[in-house]
Amino acid sequence: MNIEQTVKRAMHDVAELSDCQLIEPIKSDTLLLQSGLDSLGYAMLVAQLEEELGIDPFTELAITVYPATFAEFVAVYAKGLEQQSQ
Amino acid sequence: MSNYVVVTGASRGLGLAICRDILNSGMAVVAVARTYSTELQDLVASFPELCHFIQADLAELDAIPAVCKSIVKEFGRPYGLVNNAAAGHDGVLATMPNGEIDSLMRLNVQSPMLLSKYLLRSMLLNKKGRIVNISSIIAKTGFNGLSVYAASKAALEGFSKSLAREVGKAGITVNCVAPGYMQTDMTGDLQGEKLASIQRRSPLGKLASVEDAAAMVSFLLSEKASAITGAVMTVDAGSTA
Repeated sequence: MNIEQTVKRAMHDVAELSDCQLIEPIKSDTLLLQSGLDSLGYAMLVAQLEEELGIDPFTELAITVYPATFAEFVAVYAKGLEQQSQ
Repeated sequence: MSNYVVVTGASRGLGLAICRDILNSGMAVVAVARTYSTELQDLVASFPELCHFIQADLAELDAIPAVCKSIVKEFGRPYGLVNNAAAGHDGVLATMPNGEIDSLMRLNVQSPMLLSKYLLRSMLLNKKGRIVNISSIIAKTGFNGLSVYAASKAALEGFSKSLAREVGKAGITVNCVAPGYMQTDMTGDLQGEKLASIQRRSPLGKLASVEDAAAMVSFLLSEKASAITGAVMTVDAGSTA
C-alpha cells in the first residue's frame, strides 16, 4: 500500500472512530478540514498515522503550518518517511 | 501493559504518593523522574509488574516528543497522565534571576503542555483517557515570594479548562488538583511560625498531606470521575474556605 492509500484508509478509520462522515471522493485538492473530519478528527488522523508509520513528520520536520489539502498532507508524510529511511 | 498512568516528578513527595495510590488501586504506573530515588526504587520493587521507571529531565523540552514516543512504544497507549513535575523556586521577583524564571516556566507550564500533546494522541484513539494537572492553591490566593510559581500554576489551570473543552468529545477528561501547603521537599523552606500559622488557621486544624492530594488524583483517574472535567479540585484542609 502506498502512502496515499495508507492516508486515505486512515482517514476512513478515524472518521468512523470520531463519528464523522467523509466526503467522497477524496481528491488531491480536497481541503482536509472540508473532507468531513473536524479538527479533533484531524488530530486523530495524525495520531493514527504515527502509530502505523512510526513517524510524526510535523514534529520531526518542525513544520509550523499544517497542510491544507490532501495532496499537501500526503507530501508531508512522504517526506517524513524519506527522512526516516535515510 | 494494561491500563497505565504516566506520572511525572515521581521520585519523591506528592509524585511518589500519587504513584503509590494508583498502584494500590490496581492500575499500572510509568514513573518519570530525573533521578531514580531510593523510595521510587523500593516502590518499583514492591510492584515489579505494575511500576516502571523512565529517566527524563522534562525541562529539556526538545526531548519530550521522543520520551513520549518511547513510552508508547514500550508500554502501549496510556490511559492517563498526571503532570506533577514542577519547580518551586521562591524569592522576590525584583531579584529573581531571569534564567530561573525561564526554567520554571518551561518545567511547570510548557513541559505539561507538550506531554499532554503527545500522550493524549493515544487517548484520542482509545476514545478515553484522563489528564490530571497538579496546580496549587497559590494559583488563586497568591503568596509572597512565589509570583512566578503562582503564574505557572494559574497558566496550568487555564490550559486544563480549555483542553477539557477540546478533548471532551473524545471521552478524555482534564482536571487540576490544587493542594494546599503540604510537608514536602518543595515546601521545606516554609517552616516555623509561618507553617504553624497556616496550620492553626485551617478549619481542620491541620495541613493536607500528600496522601490526601494523591487520593484526589486517584479519584479523578477513576471511572467514578467520568463526569468531571475542566475542574480544579482543592485539597487544602479548608485553608482557602
